[in-house]
Amino acid sequence: MLLQILFDSLIRASELALIAVGLTMVYSVLRFPNFAHVEYATVGAYIAYLLSVTTGLNFAIAAVIAVLATAAFGLGTDRLVFSHLRQRSDIILMIASFALGIAIRQFVLLFWGPSPQFFSVGWGGALHVGGAHITPVQIGIIAAAVLCMVSFHLLLNRTKLGVAMRASADNTPLSEACGIPTDWIIKVIWLLGSGFAGLGGILLALDTQLQPNMGVSMIIPVFGAAIVGGIGDPYGAMLGALLFGFAENIGLNINWSPLMHSLGLQAGGYVFIPAGYKEAIPFMLLILILLLRPQGIMGRKSS
Amino acid sequence: MSGFIVYLLTITCIWGIQAFSLNLQYGVTGLVNLGQIAFFMIGGYVSVILVMLAGWPIGLGIIGGAAAAALYGMLLALPTASLQQDYWAISTLAAAEIVRMIFLNQTLGSPYVGASFGVTNIPQPLQSVIGNNVYPLFYLGLSAFCLLVCWGISHWLLHMPFGRALKAVREGDEVPLALGKNVRSMRIRAMGVGGALGGLAGALFAHYNAFISPNYFLPIETFMVWAMVIVGGAGNFAGVLAGTLLVEVISASSRFVKDVIPVDPRVLGPARMIIIAVLVIVVLIYVPEGLLRERRRRYAGTHKPPAGQPLSDEGPP
Repeated sequence: MLLQILFDSLIRASELALIAVGLTMVYSVLRFPNFAHVEYATVGAYIAYLLSVTTGLNFAIAAVIAVLATAAFGLGTDRLVFSHLRQRSDIILMIASFALGIAIRQFVLLFWGPSPQFFSVGWGGALHVGGAHITPVQIGIIAAAVLCMVSFHLLLNRTKLGVAMRASADNTPLSEACGIPTDWIIKVIWLLGSGFAGLGGILLALDTQLQPNMGVSMIIPVFGAAIVGGIGDPYGAMLGALLFGFAENIGLNINWSPLMHSLGLQAGGYVFIPAGYKEAIPFMLLILILLLRPQGIMGRKSS
Repeated sequence: MSGFIVYLLTITCIWGIQAFSLNLQYGVTGLVNLGQIAFFMIGGYVSVILVMLAGWPIGLGIIGGAAAAALYGMLLALPTASLQQDYWAISTLAAAEIVRMIFLNQTLGSPYVGASFGVTNIPQPLQSVIGNNVYPLFYLGLSAFCLLVCWGISHWLLHMPFGRALKAVREGDEVPLALGKNVRSMRIRAMGVGGALGGLAGALFAHYNAFISPNYFLPIETFMVWAMVIVGGAGNFAGVLAGTLLVEVISASSRFVKDVIPVDPRVLGPARMIIIAVLVIVVLIYVPEGLLRERRRRYAGTHKPPAGQPLSDEGPP
């Protein structure tokens, strides 16, 4: 039971982390929450589906092409929409991203319809580990996410590009004054951020299914993960993804009775959150975080 | 065809009230409410519960729905009013989804009423008195009357010191602070007024449609209201009404487009949403003031700002 919760939470956290890191990176440089970001996950998954299932390409090759295509797509949305709005307030950018997200999602709906689709990679059935089960696909998901996060960490800290990225995120005008080509760095951040999101979408679809609203249904946990770690901080976003991954899976399995009892609301028995409210857990958690620690658990004050 | 036009106008009046609500929050006060549809949902559901379960007269039920939505708006703003704008936006979105999940999981009265089944056979005001033939016209008149009253109230509010203080909140926290106004309390009150209007619209919709279900109140509906305000011109009530009509015409167009061009109706649904979303982005980039720009009051000693300057940089209030 406990091991199963651990597995499920890690899988969820892997998917969330890949998407949240890109969201937080774009925020760190351009200072607006991109509501369309979760749709890049949908786009990535559907491109991979188009290549691997519809045209019959090998899944691994299809996934790599899909991630690259999603990266280009994300950069394209910046060129097409956001780059025209750089001088405007973050509220306008936020509304534009909201509209863009709807346009992308409806486009996917137009082409593939509302019914769910599935990948079939045939990597074998579930393995049993100490009473819990995990499929090879799910192990692959965790491994891919960890690999991405480690390479991202090395990129940020061991390369000149990474240093330039961190400098731009910290203070864009100053880093520009120091000769860092900020425009170019912004392009790299869009490519990386949407590429990660595309991979996250493919992994999510491998684990569950493809649906036009698969991205938007993750919007709250993804934003929550980015906020809880202090928005703009990629390591915080990874930590936030873990927190939300665990909260979603543990929340349903906790017996709330002792808490209710201590509040004098109910005596004894079992009190569980009804399964119909599962999706409400990240929403509640997000609101609680915003109320208690809007600067994030890492404690850095956002300006 | 005339029946369709009456329907279109009624829906435009109801959603116009809803767009006025968002205009008061965003266009006037600068609050980014991404959970606008929660007001509409609470107004509709509370009115239906009061009328069908508690046996209140419909008129009182509608007022009760509006009051409940106003209360929700103020309660939501109470702890969140001092959040940064982007965090505030996300918290409103999350709160609206929580409200929807509650209505999606709760049955009302009997096992097959409410929850995902929705509520059917919602009574309509004065249905027995007025004949079936003229009833749609009557409801159009009722909705139009409510719209005009809301317009009047908004106009009146904006010309009071309260309205000017709301506009000051939009220009950033420093302006109202310098004038000695409490930003938090202004935001809470703006959400209360916005909630009342949104709730009224929701209650009118529930009794007009005679059926509601949680599927009517998805986040995409909030986007529709945003499209109305942005395309019409944030801050300008006549513009917002024009924006509402335009968005409703695009939404309803699938009814007659399929008679003119042979297209799959399954394509039309997403296609019209794409058109609306692209329209919003184009308006934001090229016509930031919308169809009709906000009229700014001029005061003695302030001069006309140079053309092409962004709205927020105009003269001090």
